[in-house]
Amino acid sequence: MATPLLEIRHVFQSFPGAAGGSVEILHDINLDIREHEVVAILGPSGCGKSTLLRAIIGLEPPASGQILYRGQVQVGLNPSTALVFQNFALFPWLTVQQNVAVGLSHLSLAAVEREQRVRQVIDAVGLAGSEEAYPKELSGGMKQRVGLARALAVQPEILCMDEPFSALDVLTSETLRNEVIDLYTSKTTPVNTILMVTHSISEGVFMATRLVVMGAHPGAIRAVFDNPLPYPRDEHHPEFLALIQKLHALITQAVFPAEPAPAIAAGAAGLPIRAIPGASLSSTIGLLEMLEDDGHLELFELTRRAHVELSQLLLVVKAAEMLDWVTTPGGLVELAAAGRQFLAADIKTRKQLLNATLRGLFVFDLVVQALKQSANNEVDEAVVLDQLARALPHEQPPRILRTVVAWARYAELFKYSSIRRVFHGLRQPTATP
Amino acid sequence: MISDRQFIRAPRAFGWIDLAVAGLLAALIYALVTVVHEWGGPLRQVPEIHLEARYLPLYTLLSLSRGVIAYGVSFLFTMIYGYAMARVVGAERVMLPVLDILQSIPVLGFLPGFVLGLVYLFPHHNVGLEIASVLMIFTGQVWNMTFSFYSSLKSVPPDLVAVARLARMSWWERFFRLDLSFAATGLLWNSMMSMAGGWFFLMVSEAFVLGEHDFRLPGLGSYMSLAIERGDGRAQLLGVLAMLGMIVFVDQVVWRPLVAWSHKFTDEESTKASGSWFWERIRRSRLLRTGTWLWESCRRRSKPAPVAPVIRGEGSGFSAAPARTWTKRLAGGAIGVGVLFGAVKYVQLLTTLGGSEWLHLLGSTAATFLRVVIAVVLASLWTIPVGVLIGRHPRWARVLQPVIQMAASFPAPMIFPVVVGAMLVFGTGLGVSSVVLLLLGTQWYILFNVIAGSSAIPRELWEVSRLARFSWRHRWQQLILPAIFPSLLTGWITAMGGAWNASIVAEYMKYHGQTLMTTGLGAAISQATERGDFHLLGAAVGIMAVTVVGFNRLVWRPLSHQAQTRFTLET
Repeated sequence: MATPLLEIRHVFQSFPGAAGGSVEILHDINLDIREHEVVAILGPSGCGKSTLLRAIIGLEPPASGQILYRGQVQVGLNPSTALVFQNFALFPWLTVQQNVAVGLSHLSLAAVEREQRVRQVIDAVGLAGSEEAYPKELSGGMKQRVGLARALAVQPEILCMDEPFSALDVLTSETLRNEVIDLYTSKTTPVNTILMVTHSISEGVFMATRLVVMGAHPGAIRAVFDNPLPYPRDEHHPEFLALIQKLHALITQAVFPAEPAPAIAAGAAGLPIRAIPGASLSSTIGLLEMLEDDGHLELFELTRRAHVELSQLLLVVKAAEMLDWVTTPGGLVELAAAGRQFLAADIKTRKQLLNATLRGLFVFDLVVQALKQSANNEVDEAVVLDQLARALPHEQPPRILRTVVAWARYAELFKYSSIRRVFHGLRQPTATP
Repeated sequence: MISDRQFIRAPRAFGWIDLAVAGLLAALIYALVTVVHEWGGPLRQVPEIHLEARYLPLYTLLSLSRGVIAYGVSFLFTMIYGYAMARVVGAERVMLPVLDILQSIPVLGFLPGFVLGLVYLFPHHNVGLEIASVLMIFTGQVWNMTFSFYSSLKSVPPDLVAVARLARMSWWERFFRLDLSFAATGLLWNSMMSMAGGWFFLMVSEAFVLGEHDFRLPGLGSYMSLAIERGDGRAQLLGVLAMLGMIVFVDQVVWRPLVAWSHKFTDEESTKASGSWFWERIRRSRLLRTGTWLWESCRRRSKPAPVAPVIRGEGSGFSAAPARTWTKRLAGGAIGVGVLFGAVKYVQLLTTLGGSEWLHLLGSTAATFLRVVIAVVLASLWTIPVGVLIGRHPRWARVLQPVIQMAASFPAPMIFPVVVGAMLVFGTGLGVSSVVLLLLGTQWYILFNVIAGSSAIPRELWEVSRLARFSWRHRWQQLILPAIFPSLLTGWITAMGGAWNASIVAEYMKYHGQTLMTTGLGAAISQATERGDFHLLGAAVGIMAVTVVGFNRLVWRPLSHQAQTRFTLET
């Protein structure tokens, strides 16, 4: 077999964390990218997929590990790549034409050729007629076409795209997805491989010939998956749907493993040390409502009914599972007894129920214990952040803190002042359930 | 004189950097004062200033050209200092506090050093004096421009930086096409403010007495000082008109067109296209098209010779240069020793002052402090209601904004004598009327910011307050004051800084052949300058700088932190 276009070998990446240490973003990434592929890197937010893309391009060199381009170790920016940004990254003070030409200024091209190239890509992405427009005059879809044209102008071998359609509305992103695939399959451009980052499974299945599924904390590759469906793909074709379902199951398995998770060290109070997912209580309660009639639903069916992405839904399901409201046997979400009890209760009882449940979770217990020990019934936010950072080195303490505050406020477990940045306790209602 | 809101960060305890800052402040003032001793300038011929109207166009032109040259210097300083502060690793920690100090030193504090030093360098020409005058106008212009440029550079979107890197832009390209373009809008608005700030001390910058020497340069400022000194009402009126004409001219021919042009640097589609007749003319003119063509063809010709398209190692310039660390350390050490030496010397200079002089200075500080506070309070009393009212009616705001802007650009000291004259009729001394003078100079900043704050209150919030049938008091308490608080604070900080500076000309003036003065720090500075008492001047300037910096740190900074965390309207 020929040398792969890109070889990613044991790539690690970490950034300075909140508590002075460093947070590992990428953990031992190994991946080959071959010619004539469309590779989609899929994963929940915060799994480091954008970081991986930037490492491949050379924008952020990895902390350790190597990236080889056609067998050569790559140093600095890879000249055969171009990047399309999620939020377009256009220069507001340059016209469409000038924005597209930005990428060409370092190439020693004759003026004629430069202009010809710009005209060509502008035509190719359907921007002809808007050459003199400034970005602020364009709609989101047109802006991303400029971003795409700018990337194509340098005639890259590998076109990289970082969630290129997620800032667009549904209809526009649909159109652009098709256009990109048309550009790729028609071979009118020198692009021979597309490497894209997305959080949408259906987008990945629609566009990619290979899907790389990443998990978070730290970001690592969980599964790699071939997509043999021929272009053009039909999103309503049974095979397409079957593939999405299969992928859902795969991702679910990666997130909710069938075998019990390895034993987690217990904290001081004997509670397992684990973080809480960044889901809002209202959407978690919404999940219960959705399950109320059928009792159980498949994850795939749930994403369809709730109109949310799987990665987002998984957060909510994980939250509900942590609160013992649902169980997840093999890709199925089942309403548990506690969940049913919660749904039936009035608002006051709901608060009491949740209050009791939260006390059994590590991150809430941490604050409750700290409040108990403090003389004035107050705990500084920094203290909690520090303890969280130490107990959960792979998580982002401020994010956990936000969720803790939101849930605890609902359950009237303790209070938090965002002005003074302190937690303070309140007299507990006598727990009844 | 203008401190920017963004730079007042979260309150923190006083640390070593504050100590270093204090040392630096002392050293700086010492340096400014010593130059005077070393270079006691020779006697010079004073050019005669004529009060006839026919001289006025020439004088106005001379003053304008000084202002423009000073602006050029300010721009250059801003580019270099602002860039270094934002981009050289570690530079910010030292350069930011230094800038903070520099802006708190009143313009008059720079005067003796500049003037005597430069006159000594050019003993037989007016060049030295000209340069000194330009430099003084420069010190009234430059600081807020530098702050603005710095903050823009710090907030360049990372995605655009990534694009620039992917496009392998050269340092120059990146500077012009990314950094400078991104900073353009903020820089432009601050330039307008700076020009106005530079005119504030025009009268002092062009005519002053220093020790036994009387320095004058032909210009609008010296014309006004002479007219006031002689009590020539007609000449004063003519001078004011000339100043107004100059401000309107610059506004219409320079700033309005630039603002209209700068819309291309902003991301949003502007809803209210601030029209400029002059820009419309230029835009359609053949001249511009020819100019663009010339520029383009020059640019094309000057393109560097084609280089082989190899992957260039990205020279990020400053960050990684281990070989240079020892030079850096050496330079840092040298600067440290210099600062220490200067600080010690300054303290020595201060010890020559007797106890009674210190007592007098402290009393003066208290008096001026009181005046500054009263002026800001009085200004707030009328500007807050009026500003809120104007801000609520976009049409009023559109009509009045340029007028207010013009009023704010007019150097208030020029009409001080008229006010003082009127107050004297009622038997009020300068002690009280100087408060009115401070008010005149600084109320605009508050008004300006209140209008901006009130027009940013979302219409829905007004509607809620109406639906909830808020009482008048409730509406102010719950809606208006919290909503305008961040911008009001900016206005206060600016106004207060301006008031301290203005006290120098408000508490001491030559009027109808007599000298009017009252107890105050500003008067002390003016008097010390005129007498050539540099020990007293050094002490007074130091006290003013310390007071301003101290007040910023202890009062404004914590308040700004509050404003940013609690009272920012989410959009």
